[in-house]
Amino acid sequence: MAVRPDVRLDDAPMQPVSCGTCGAVVEARKSSWDQTSIQWNDDALAACMERRASSPRPGPNGATFTGCAALRDAIREAAVRGLLDVVDDEPLKTNPDHHPDQYDTEVHA
Amino acid sequence: MTAVGDEVRHIESGPPPTRFARGWHCLGLVRDFDDGKPHQVNAFGQKLVVFAGEDGAINVLDAYCRHMGGDLSQGEVKGNEIACPFHDWRWGGDGRCKQIPYARRVPLRARTAAWPTMTQDGMLFVWNDPEGNPPTEDAVIPRIEGYDNPEWTDWVWYTTRIEGSNCREIVDNVVDMAHFFYVHFTFPTYFKNIFEGTVATQLMTGQGREDVARPQNSGNGPKSTGTTSTAAYYGPSFMIDDVTYHYSDGNDMPTTLINCHYPIDANSFVLQYGIMTKKPAGVDDEAATATARKLGDFIRIGFEQDVQIWRNKARIENPLLCEEDGPVYQLRRWYEQFYVDVADVKPEMTDRFEFEIDTTKPNEAWRHEVEQNIAKRAAASGQPV
Ligand code: FES
Ligand SMILES: [Fe+2]
Repeated sequence: MAVRPDVRLDDAPMQPVSCGTCGAVVEARKSSWDQTSIQWNDDALAACMERRASSPRPGPNGATFTGCAALRDAIREAAVRGLLDVVDDEPLKTNPDHHPDQYDTEVHA
Repeated sequence: MTAVGDEVRHIESGPPPTRFARGWHCLGLVRDFDDGKPHQVNAFGQKLVVFAGEDGAINVLDAYCRHMGGDLSQGEVKGNEIACPFHDWRWGGDGRCKQIPYARRVPLRARTAAWPTMTQDGMLFVWNDPEGNPPTEDAVIPRIEGYDNPEWTDWVWYTTRIEGSNCREIVDNVVDMAHFFYVHFTFPTYFKNIFEGTVATQLMTGQGREDVARPQNSGNGPKSTGTTSTAAYYGPSFMIDDVTYHYSDGNDMPTTLINCHYPIDANSFVLQYGIMTKKPAGVDDEAATATARKLGDFIRIGFEQDVQIWRNKARIENPLLCEEDGPVYQLRRWYEQFYVDVADVKPEMTDRFEFEIDTTKPNEAWRHEVEQNIAKRAAASGQPV
């Protein structure tokens, strides 16, 4: 049986993103600001420092590595900078009391 | 010319696979097989006999005797062998004929198919591999901490036979976030899948649907407020769900759920699920087991609704997904590794893949639906909303 690609990739494919901490390059896709898929490969997995440093959590399924925070940040940043598309066109939710002209100075604060 | 949106989308059904998945399959609880009697199990398109010898080892053989085709599952256990009811040929757990009481010697080719078995944490597993190789190193089933542990109940176990569906239907569920709301009455607020190697994981935080009566909420006891769950398939058919039930009095109930199946043939399978819970302080074994059974019975309602869906649905190779759906295609890509020869497993089937769903929109819609259902019911019973 042939393995079919996700139909949703027809409209918005996965795009490469590299981790600012370990340099791992993965393919990522953001459906919305809060929805992300990540395709790893062996090299990326071997590079990930959080994965190497992680230890199993308790419980029968504790061996599963739930994800890398540094990579998550890198993907978010790529999306904020417009280097990674976000399928959903709703703008990034910001603080309503926030004034747009402060954005540049505050975002890196 | 028609625009894309004007074209009728067609379902591609495709035939079910012609082979059965490589991997450990749980056949049920050891206690249901170790009584020294032969048990017939229909699995992997074949009839099998499962029996425990005097040495206690549980064996799985092809049920048809290589002599004249007698059915070993109708036979008798003699010593460590299964004796055929037709002419009493004795078959050992290794698949070799050990003895023919009325013959001078056993023919050279007297060897039948034997499946590697494993017993662990009260469950019996059988290794299926169309290539006939021993269990692969990456096929490891994690240990269940609560088994044989006085702080936990024993297994409460359920078995049900599903006709008219290929077992892929149940595996698809592991990524199907929305069906948990509609079919299992759970309201997922967090949902993420991770596939890596032979393991497919689902992280889920859920609340109970307030418009659906839950057994935990009957009476005056503490109300259940939700669950935190990490569930994972180890191989093609065996899932461990490590789930904590949260209650309004602040007490948590750690629970282990098993959800496993084995194929009977391409169009039917046996679904089994088991539950054990950590006994709350001061609660005796009987009461704790009763609670586990209540939870299990509620889970059963969900599975029965799954079955109803499977029985009537189409097999679909080209599901049309919205962004709020889980990674069905990537799950199937992972699942495919168990249906090809080991040499043909491709990195894309086993490479790590993560998929986290944004539940904001689904949660808005479902909250609204739950409120409406409660209001409707109150109106119907004449009570103020
Ligand atoms: S058919 Fe089994 S002993 Fe003859
Ligand atoms: Fe389901």
